[in-house]
Amino acid sequence: MNSGIDLQDVFIQSLTDLGLPTGAAKAIWMPLPMLLMLVSATVGVLVVVWLERKISAAAQQRIGPEYIGPLGVLAPVADGLKLVFKEDVVPANSDALLFTLGPVIVVIPVFLSYLIVPFGQNLVVTDVGMGVFLWIALSSVAPIGLLMSGYASNNKYSLLGGLRAAAQSISYEIPLALSVLAIAMMSNSLSTIDIVQQQSGYGILGWNIWRQPVGFVIFWIAALAECERMPFDLPEAEEELVAGYQTEYSGMKFALFYLGSYVNLVLSALLVAVLYLGGWDFPIPLTLVADVLGIDEFNPVFQIITASLGITMTVLKAYLLVFLAILLRWTVPRVRIDQLLDLGWKFLLPISLVNLLLTAALKLAFPFAFGG
Amino acid sequence: MLKFLKQVSDYTKETVQAAKYIGQGLAVTFDHMQRRPVTVQYPYEKLIPSERFRGRIHFEFDKCISCEVCVRVCPINLPVVDWEFNPETKKKKLNHYSIDFGVCIFCGNCVEYCPTNCLSMTEEYELAAYDRHELNYDSVALGRLPYKVTEDPMVTPLREFAYLPKGVIEPHGLPAGAKRAGSRPEDMVETEK
Repeated sequence: MNSGIDLQDVFIQSLTDLGLPTGAAKAIWMPLPMLLMLVSATVGVLVVVWLERKISAAAQQRIGPEYIGPLGVLAPVADGLKLVFKEDVVPANSDALLFTLGPVIVVIPVFLSYLIVPFGQNLVVTDVGMGVFLWIALSSVAPIGLLMSGYASNNKYSLLGGLRAAAQSISYEIPLALSVLAIAMMSNSLSTIDIVQQQSGYGILGWNIWRQPVGFVIFWIAALAECERMPFDLPEAEEELVAGYQTEYSGMKFALFYLGSYVNLVLSALLVAVLYLGGWDFPIPLTLVADVLGIDEFNPVFQIITASLGITMTVLKAYLLVFLAILLRWTVPRVRIDQLLDLGWKFLLPISLVNLLLTAALKLAFPFAFGG
Repeated sequence: MLKFLKQVSDYTKETVQAAKYIGQGLAVTFDHMQRRPVTVQYPYEKLIPSERFRGRIHFEFDKCISCEVCVRVCPINLPVVDWEFNPETKKKKLNHYSIDFGVCIFCGNCVEYCPTNCLSMTEEYELAAYDRHELNYDSVALGRLPYKVTEDPMVTPLREFAYLPKGVIEPHGLPAGAKRAGSRPEDMVETEK
């Protein structure tokens, strides 16, 4: 199997050639991908916020941001700047420590989850052996922060919002984990690299969405609920709860919540792309293209094109899913809290269980197609 | 067992139906994305109010006979008619007339019933003020004519949908003499003759 470009190896190799010890070279390398990931996640959020505003406007026959930069692309930057300069208000009777800690606990796990998002064979911060499990574990930390900030605000709307967020996250984590389990069963691995590896080779036909259509839908619904996106945005239902757990927040702390929710949306979209839509895999197998064109697979130019195409494909798939989420926002009305819990426990949970059992049965019956 | 299977199949049917409806909804929102934005860039562009627009009321002091019909037909008796009887001419003399547009609902009853047509509707709708008492227009303020949108050099006037030529839905960049669909009142008068 062609392993493609390995930037880490090349970087460390060239530094050791310069006379640095291997350990020092590794230490110099380590912050680079992390920093790159942080920056790209933040820039990704700016893009998503802009897309959200533009697509929302288009769906409502408006224009949306137009004058702040070309086509209004600087609107999210202006939003962010405004939030940076706003006064940081801590309500008088709130618990100042927990109030400050809340948004931090919400944001850190989301950014941490970017560790496992692969953009290519070797384009990942770290290839953790239990990658997807790490993501599920990290995403269940966020509701603690939400509950914390809701409770610490000393406001009944905040508390209700925080409780709703916790209830929602807990009930949708289980179908999410079960549908991931079905994927893990088929891939014989929890590593995101292996999961994409197992899908690639046959182009679009090899993607998990054909083998796990039910899992795909469940995962997407559960991911939307985890991100508190429109049909499931009860924790911040503005008509009922002012702004839920965010009610008392302003300035940078509010910006952290805002950032966290959009980073989470991008992360969920990226993971759906990785788990179900073949990650960095091109719809047509690239080795086939290389064969037809008569290019060597190890040709450096071909490898660079493959790597950049991989990044483009991952981002493109993720942003298509984000587009779907934004469109869903203006299509589907918000569900009630009882409907939300009904959907989670009485519909998604049994279906995802059946899906898991069916996958196991199919894996035993057709090991060649279901990763035996 | 059969009852259970029926329940399961009913549930599945309902699920498929729900998915179908969500799909239809998505198709509708997706279709909206390629439609023309209805945005009017307000301070720079303004819609031309229609002929029957009920804006701020205009009052002609000299025409008024102080009959107070406007007060009687007003839902809240809003116009203030200050007059006194002149014994020499045996006529009512109007001293002052005012309408508070902070309270007026622009129903147009006063305009409809005024026997001497001294009240009329204008196309003015920008009545914002910092103090609500500024909206209490006296007879001088009521006598002012609004500035027409079409004559304002700062504003691009846009026609409303019904005033666009046949088949046109875009009010921007219309040719100067473009006529709206259907015959205009002047044309109708011509054909009647």
